[in-house]
Amino acid sequence: MIDSPVQKRQDKQPSKRVAIQIEGLNKWFDQFHVLKDVSMDVMENEIIVVCGPSGSGKSTFIRCINRLETYQEGEISIFDHRLGNDKNSAVLIRENIGMLFQSFNLFPHLTVLKNCTLGPIWLRKIPEKQAIEKSMALLERVGVADLASKYPGQISGGQQQRVAIARSLAMAPRIMLFDEPTSALDPEMIKEVLDVMIDLAESGMTMMCVTHEMQFAHQVADRVVFMSDGEIVEIGPPEQVLKNPEWDRTSQFLKHILSHA
Amino acid sequence: MTETQRPATELKKFVPRPSRPPVVVTYGVTGWLRKHLFGGFWDTMLTVAVFSLLYVLLKPFLDWALFKAVWEASTRRECLDLSPDGACWAGVIRWFNNLIYGRYPNALQWRVNLGFAFGLLWLVPLALKPVKHKIIIGIMAVVLYPFLADYIFLGGDRSTLHGMFACLALGYLALTYINIALVYAGKRQLSLYLEPLLERVSMKYADLLSQLLCLMALSVLIGMALHDVQLTHVPIDRWGGLFLTIIISGFAIVMALPIGILLALGRRSEMPVIRWFSIATIELVRSVPMITVLFMSVTMMPLFFPNTIDLNKLAQVILAVCIFAGAYMAETVRGGLQSIPIGQFDAAKSVGLGYWHTMFLIILPQALKAMIPNIVTSFISMFKDTTLVSIIGLFDIMLMARNISIDKNWYGLHSEPLVAISVLFFFICYGMSQYSQYLEKKLKTDR
Repeated sequence: MIDSPVQKRQDKQPSKRVAIQIEGLNKWFDQFHVLKDVSMDVMENEIIVVCGPSGSGKSTFIRCINRLETYQEGEISIFDHRLGNDKNSAVLIRENIGMLFQSFNLFPHLTVLKNCTLGPIWLRKIPEKQAIEKSMALLERVGVADLASKYPGQISGGQQQRVAIARSLAMAPRIMLFDEPTSALDPEMIKEVLDVMIDLAESGMTMMCVTHEMQFAHQVADRVVFMSDGEIVEIGPPEQVLKNPEWDRTSQFLKHILSHA
Repeated sequence: MTETQRPATELKKFVPRPSRPPVVVTYGVTGWLRKHLFGGFWDTMLTVAVFSLLYVLLKPFLDWALFKAVWEASTRRECLDLSPDGACWAGVIRWFNNLIYGRYPNALQWRVNLGFAFGLLWLVPLALKPVKHKIIIGIMAVVLYPFLADYIFLGGDRSTLHGMFACLALGYLALTYINIALVYAGKRQLSLYLEPLLERVSMKYADLLSQLLCLMALSVLIGMALHDVQLTHVPIDRWGGLFLTIIISGFAIVMALPIGILLALGRRSEMPVIRWFSIATIELVRSVPMITVLFMSVTMMPLFFPNTIDLNKLAQVILAVCIFAGAYMAETVRGGLQSIPIGQFDAAKSVGLGYWHTMFLIILPQALKAMIPNIVTSFISMFKDTTLVSIIGLFDIMLMARNISIDKNWYGLHSEPLVAISVLFFFICYGMSQYSQYLEKKLKTDR
């Protein structure tokens, strides 16, 4: 499947600006060492795909970036601002980072539209009418505008995930984190979500995706990170990491994932 | 092999067939009886057995309560002479007024009705669809209505401030209804007509200012109109009956949720002082019988307050009952909070919501919705538990009922008043439970 040549966008200019800088990140759950000296830079507009076996710490890694998880050692900076436990960091994360989850996590008691307008109205203090207009435009963009008045429990998983994308975009983030956004979906729905993600990637969003969709990695990723046992084993362009891995662990993992794809 | 290699154009095109309306099964009454009660030999036997048992069990009660009951008499002796083994409802009927209003003077009972009528009027807009900002109307009801009700129920010479609050309450009620009328008539809210004028003063607060101005104007008008009205003082120890029960349990029910929510959030807080305070309050209050809390409220609470504050028995009891109800509610709310998946917190945080936004916009609405059955159960039990205040000598419906049996005309009439109260309570509590089921259906968003 991956052998088929994929059209990759050619016009992309590599940015010189660092969006996310991670240095010496260490995290323990009690005695368990989840992240071991993880360091990497993510450039602006760059698309990073993080893959690896379960329990390799990839979810924990990207959850650290918007401080859904705390870490005991190391530093993370967003656009040269070091994140800490202070109010400024919270605002910085809120203004810059959006996140998608495996289980969508829409707010079930609010309609699709209200899910999207909640942040803009309460946090950015945008007038309700304006927020609705903007959210409707975003829902249009992800192709679910006709579901605006439904509740999350009434729509399919793929639709929910696309609403979740619109909800994140409503806060106008510059960085989007994806934590296995398609793992809970069936193949037809995976495609509808991936299409939106590809569209996002092409619009110049900085993205970090934990995903097992190797096709997606090939098509849009600038770099692929392979993690195992809390460490970054390999990092590089998809052609290199996914085709000619340097390490045995990577090639072993890829063999498994390809035999199932 | 050839099957799979067929080019796409030659594939058969799948078109889903149109849906059919669902099959409806109807039997009619006889059909239903036959299917459910007389389906076979054993079914028939069982039906007959159950119905005979019901007859045997219920017959004596129905005889006593209905067929042999006396509805008209002037003393219990007369009742017994008419029908020695029937219920004597005449006594309950004679005392009915007292069961409802306690010892509130007969000539002034319209004030009680008026007070409750205002309360109901306040609740009506909450059930109407086109009304906006219901939460504000609700909060205003909690904040302002007690002043109005207190003013009407108690009467007598009250401070100017108190009178002003009562007028403010009436003004707000009037404003709400004027707005509703305007909205139904297709016009704009009253305050919106003033807004353009005030935009010159302050653009940002024009909306708020104009609403406040409307409220003030109406309140002052009402205040001037009612300036000369004098209400006779009815001391609190004349309040009683269902009237008193509703006041006490009303406070308990209204205050339980806010207190409960704060205590529940406190118990989950990461700040040790707040957490330990909440745990101590909840555990202490929950582990003590309600009766002791009531006794303590009357005997010990005055020790904690400075002499200058004049407490009355009712206020003390209400305070105690509110804390008691809040502590119980706290655990119910905490159960609801724990039922919310961690992903909701993650999502709220990733949208950028802080603690209070997350709690009040995302978590609590879901938690409270999930907890409606439990919350209403504790409301119902609070309503029933408040009858315990009869023990410390408040003449609530329970004490009034027991007083019937020491009235010289109805001496020894114990059972009938209790049965009558049970029926009354059943209707009120069943009403609450039905409302909760309606609420659950209305708030259901998953299908």
